[in-house]
Amino acid sequence: MDSSFLLVQFVSGLTMATLLFLVASGLTLIFGVGGVFNFAHGSFYMLGAYLAYTVVSLAHGNFWVAVLAAGLGAGVAGMIAEAAFLRRIYGRSEEGGFQILLTYSLILIIDDLVKLVWGTEYKSLSRPAGFTGSLVIGDVTLPSYNLAIVGVGLLVVVVAWWVLSRTRPGRIARATALDRETMGVLGVNVPLTMTLVFGIATALGGITGALAAPLRSVTPGAGIEVIIDSLIVVVLGGMGNFWGAWLAALLLGEVNAIAVATVPEWASLFSYLVMVVTLIFKPEGLFAPRQVRKV
Amino acid sequence: MRGKAWALVALALAMAMLVPAVAGAEDKVVKIGALYPMTGRAGLYGLDSVAAAEMAIAEINGKGGVKGYKLELISTDSQAKPDYSVQVAKRYITSDNVHFLFGVVSSGVGLALTEVSKQYKKIFIGTDHASTQLTVDKLQPYYFRVSNNTFQSMAAGALDLKERQKAKPWQTIAYIGPDYAYGHDQWNELKYNLDRFGVKYKVVGEYWPKLAAPDYTAFITSIIKDKPDILISGLWGGDTVAFIKQALPYGLFQKTLFCSPDAGGNYEVMSATGDELALGLVLSARHHNNWPGTEANKKFVSDFFKKTGRYPSYSAEGAYAGVYAIAQAVEKVGNPDDAEALVKAFEGMKLKLPEDPDGFTSYIDPLTHQIVQVQAIGETVANKDFPPATRMLGNWKIYKAQEILPPPEYLKEHGSDYLKGRMK
Repeated sequence: MDSSFLLVQFVSGLTMATLLFLVASGLTLIFGVGGVFNFAHGSFYMLGAYLAYTVVSLAHGNFWVAVLAAGLGAGVAGMIAEAAFLRRIYGRSEEGGFQILLTYSLILIIDDLVKLVWGTEYKSLSRPAGFTGSLVIGDVTLPSYNLAIVGVGLLVVVVAWWVLSRTRPGRIARATALDRETMGVLGVNVPLTMTLVFGIATALGGITGALAAPLRSVTPGAGIEVIIDSLIVVVLGGMGNFWGAWLAALLLGEVNAIAVATVPEWASLFSYLVMVVTLIFKPEGLFAPRQVRKV
Repeated sequence: MRGKAWALVALALAMAMLVPAVAGAEDKVVKIGALYPMTGRAGLYGLDSVAAAEMAIAEINGKGGVKGYKLELISTDSQAKPDYSVQVAKRYITSDNVHFLFGVVSSGVGLALTEVSKQYKKIFIGTDHASTQLTVDKLQPYYFRVSNNTFQSMAAGALDLKERQKAKPWQTIAYIGPDYAYGHDQWNELKYNLDRFGVKYKVVGEYWPKLAAPDYTAFITSIIKDKPDILISGLWGGDTVAFIKQALPYGLFQKTLFCSPDAGGNYEVMSATGDELALGLVLSARHHNNWPGTEANKKFVSDFFKKTGRYPSYSAEGAYAGVYAIAQAVEKVGNPDDAEALVKAFEGMKLKLPEDPDGFTSYIDPLTHQIVQVQAIGETVANKDFPPATRMLGNWKIYKAQEILPPPEYLKEHGSDYLKGRMK
């Protein structure tokens, strides 16, 4: 295996990791702040892909405008879902079970809505202008759109870090994650905070769906295809841990890229193996800082 | 109020009694119990199949039905789940009194339903699922399939590769296919047929992504490293679309010849990839919208378009064929109730279908219950006749039906006891 192949394979892993992280980021954010496991997160990803398709192909929109529109649309849909349904079950003793059932039914509802609006035919989005080619250096071919996705992933990491740690809304969100009741007493509008966080998380899902659309197929059921791997990332990174999710996605993406190149017949086994080993030896997640461990 | 409430109850009861009476008025019905997926990425095949089956039924009933019987289709979402489909099929048989089980996209569901069919002696017409096992390893008396299986498409693919090797020598081959029975069967059957036809080759890579995996980049870059002359793909539907879109900027299609003889040429692949579908890829499917150029095929495609507003994927024609096969069997036997006589009617049945080129008529092999059809393999060429696709297949190579059937030694090695018993 020569070094140029290793570089190409590394970037392959990085592309997969970034899309994995972008889906998982919303999932882990909602879990971290709201304690909600949103099984339907993948459906907002799918919704984003369809919205981007509509904006680009029907409104002849610019691709990047479509990505933002997808984020906005998925975010609004997420806020409606939170305010109309999820808010009603917070604090119930069986909340965990209800959350899974409720968000699972959201998957079915969103899937059927998508089928009603867009039909079952596969939809397609092309790569945006300026990103259809590749960067070729000797033996190394790196598609420019893949590099752009990696860039967007880094941007999201930096912006999210800045919002969560340096701005007032970010600090409120983090504090709400730790103690909802106290924040309510302190005059923070907790329900509104929860709705907004849910909206931001589903918007991240929608943006990812739009970004992934030129590389994947836009079909009903596309949400379920990404949710399992995202869940693995969230668990590996530590439930609710934003940075952990990023590192876990990188780990999984690269483990997969190396496994495919070296032991292709066992490649899909490895990501699950990493998860099983983690769950046994470090159940709080590979990258969980000590202080968030719960008794 | 009370009087009014009672009146409503009485009215409801009267209406409830009226419904069976109305149904009873036209009681001579051939009931077909269909199971197709209606959701998820296979939902497209289910919807297309049901639309085409309804089209065939409307045509037949419009001409007065068969032997005084009207055809009727009842359809349920299979959810692509074997255990759930088995429940529905049993309900179809025991309480809906269907005469035929019908449909199924997934071979997993097909394999489960053929057991139900065997147990209840209820004829099951397979219209889509491609696993060779159903007409070889697991063949039972009441199962018939009206579309090609993977053995047939892979045999055609092997013949195509043999011709290519003569024209422009190639040596190395790699495979990528989904990591379940369908993916593994295709690869084994391709190698079996290459060996059978005396083709020399060296395998340089085998890749098994999960079904519906969203990301193929790592596979693509690793395949490029292997430098195969030929890349065989056993992916289908959305997976083929994702693979093609992701492989394009890596220049994979200039570096290797991409061949997908079973499902790569499905119409939805072409409609979803548009201009991003590279030219010169070697693909096939179980039905093509632009081959053969017969009046029957043109009429089938345009009737489907008029009914649904879209062009059909391959699955539609299988369902259409299934309804016509049933009509023909009932016509011959005179009723839909005598399963044993119907089995005899299906065995060896000749069935002129939209996918038959001039001079050929599909027929059901009496031994394996598998329909025998011509397989056409094409290359992607620019063609905007079936929008939104901008590429269709062209430069066709046609493989004769008899050449691509499993040979007797294959049937002896793999066949079910029922099949082996019939071979003696």
